[in-house]
Amino acid sequence: MIGVLTCIGVVLRTKLAAQMAYRSHFVLSVLLLIVGDLLVPMITVLVYRSGASLPGWTLHEALLVQGIFGLAKGIAFPLFFGMVGTTLSQVREGTFDLLLLKPRPTLFMTMLSGIDPDDFGRLVSGGVLFGYAISGIRTPSPVQWLLFAAWFLVSLAVLFAFSLLLSGLLFRWVGSSRVYDIFDSVTSFGMYPGTIYAKSFQQLLTYVVPVGLIAFVPASSLLGRAGGGYAWAAASAALFLLAGIFYWHRMLRGYTSAGG
Amino acid sequence: MNPAVHLWHAVRAIGFATYKEWAAYRSHMAVSLLVGPVYFLVQYMIWHAIYEGKDTINGLTLAQMLSYFGIAAVVNYFTFDFADWNLQMLVRTGKFVTFALRPMPHWLFALAQKLGHRSLGFAIECAPVFLIFLFVFHIDLKPAAPGWAAISIALSFLMNFMVNYCVGLTAFWLVRAEGVRRVFLLLKDISAGLFVPLSFFPGWAQHVLFYLPFQFITYVPTRVYVGKYELAGMHLSLPGVVGLQAGATALVAGLMLLLYRQALRRFTGVGV
Repeated sequence: MIGVLTCIGVVLRTKLAAQMAYRSHFVLSVLLLIVGDLLVPMITVLVYRSGASLPGWTLHEALLVQGIFGLAKGIAFPLFFGMVGTTLSQVREGTFDLLLLKPRPTLFMTMLSGIDPDDFGRLVSGGVLFGYAISGIRTPSPVQWLLFAAWFLVSLAVLFAFSLLLSGLLFRWVGSSRVYDIFDSVTSFGMYPGTIYAKSFQQLLTYVVPVGLIAFVPASSLLGRAGGGYAWAAASAALFLLAGIFYWHRMLRGYTSAGG
Repeated sequence: MNPAVHLWHAVRAIGFATYKEWAAYRSHMAVSLLVGPVYFLVQYMIWHAIYEGKDTINGLTLAQMLSYFGIAAVVNYFTFDFADWNLQMLVRTGKFVTFALRPMPHWLFALAQKLGHRSLGFAIECAPVFLIFLFVFHIDLKPAAPGWAAISIALSFLMNFMVNYCVGLTAFWLVRAEGVRRVFLLLKDISAGLFVPLSFFPGWAQHVLFYLPFQFITYVPTRVYVGKYELAGMHLSLPGVVGLQAGATALVAGLMLLLYRQALRRFTGVGV
């Protein structure tokens, strides 16, 4: 574990030093991520300002879902989601072979290569939104905080599974940057309270493509609305993660580099 | 040969070459057949929930709101542009030098490329997504005045290109303009009404947006398509708003040419 953390620390330091060569670009990128991540919440605010609302959800409660979504991305994107970009560029350029030669598991090396300090900006926007949303709801009890922490880990596991599936896909579908569009469109269902969808669709978003676990279920647990029924959802998230790991390794086996 | 005919032949040849080049990566474009409807499905469900118990919000009925997002998505596929990214890449890598030597301004070359790229996009993205919205979601996509809608979309096509090209030209002044480009494009998309109709913004913001060129990229063609334009309390007839759009497009064209000349003066490359 110490070795893993040391590797992450070293890569973070190196990448940050590289970014400092283009300081204004780095600052702008971070600011842009903050502004970009506040876009959907801004639309939510505009909708509520016009007198409309998402049924059964106050503005602060709706923003809580979007704030948690931002927080989860704020941890997933800088730490492991970058593996999608690594696979995208390195498989196309033929430099992915170098990762296969390193004395660490290939998946870990792919993650390390994708670490991106820019993306910590998302943590700021998510944190600000989360703080604002929390200030407008009833103070959660310690048990609710504990439940939230557990569901937040599940949320990160779902995002990790998504990054594995997209990264794995890029071994075969070489150089297609549109995997990001696929991810953004599919996960956009998770930026809104799940109760606005039809019951069957909610089940789909909880148990099959568990984007509802990224933010809606953690938010519900903080609001004291998550019932015991969601326990099975944790199992589906674990299965989703296992499927992602299996798929990634299977696709890696099919990877043929310049050396065959 | 007549210079205008010669130029047309050149533009057509560049457009056709771009068409063939991108046809090799058609699966890249075809992803829009999944992404477009999925995004729309999200909007469809959210707005259905929001309109529960309400007939209109900001003067729009649910059907009009869904039509707005449907038309905006289709217009966006038709006018999609990445001239900014392309130009910045050419400047950063030094490849622009090959264009500086050609007997054709680069902006015209880029416009010809866009014509070719979007011709393919029309067949692979625009038309199929339009049909999905029409037959799967049953969205009313019939233009109120087809002639005005076509002119407005054509002007929006040019406006989007020119605004993006101006952003791309910043690469001649900045070492790495990627951050500026992304900030600007995000603000452009918000101000164009891509995410929510501009009539949802507070009154003061609507007044500011009225005087910016971005509304002519998505908001104006979409409202012209549905046959009714209103922003910041101002109601304009279709000929009036399309005339305004034509004026704004001409103004931005002048600005782009001016910036282009200034940019070329700054450009230095090996042998140039």
